[in-house]
Amino acid sequence: MTKLAQWLWGLALLGSTWAALTTGALGLELPSSCREVLWPLPAYLLVSAGCYALGTVGYRVATFHDCEDAARELQSQIQEARADLTRRGMRF
Amino acid sequence: MATGTDQVVGLGLVAVSLVIFTYYTAWVILLPFIDSQHVIHKYFLPRAYAVAIPLAAGLLLLLFVGVFITYVMLKNQKVTKKAQ
Repeated sequence: MTKLAQWLWGLALLGSTWAALTTGALGLELPSSCREVLWPLPAYLLVSAGCYALGTVGYRVATFHDCEDAARELQSQIQEARADLTRRGMRF
Repeated sequence: MATGTDQVVGLGLVAVSLVIFTYYTAWVILLPFIDSQHVIHKYFLPRAYAVAIPLAAGLLLLLFVGVFITYVMLKNQKVTKKAQ
């Protein structure tokens, strides 16, 4: 089974469970506070996934290992190359 | 370690995501278990907004992405037409 099929399977299973529980199709008498938590659950999972993604991106940006010397060296090499090529007649 | 603006932006993103996560978790998960007469309910909108606001934000995001893609594609088309 492909990964897409697996994901769709999982989503379909969880989605149908949630729908069955929220619409009361299973005939379970859940306490009202549980029902109050249950019905926004898909939106909640999406928002938390988004927050996790945003937080991970921010954290990795903040802790990225810069190499200042290598960056400066690369920039000077680029300038050299540009000057050399313009001398040989190439237009940028 | 990243320096200067990178650190500020990165940590800012982390802080924003944490704030949104805690507020939203309190709204969706914790509030139904708190007595409806408690003063904390004053700080949260009616429950329907807990789904409506993320939905609206998601649609806005999709709209923005679509507009951006259209703009880039049109600009590309104009450039190729000029080059011909």
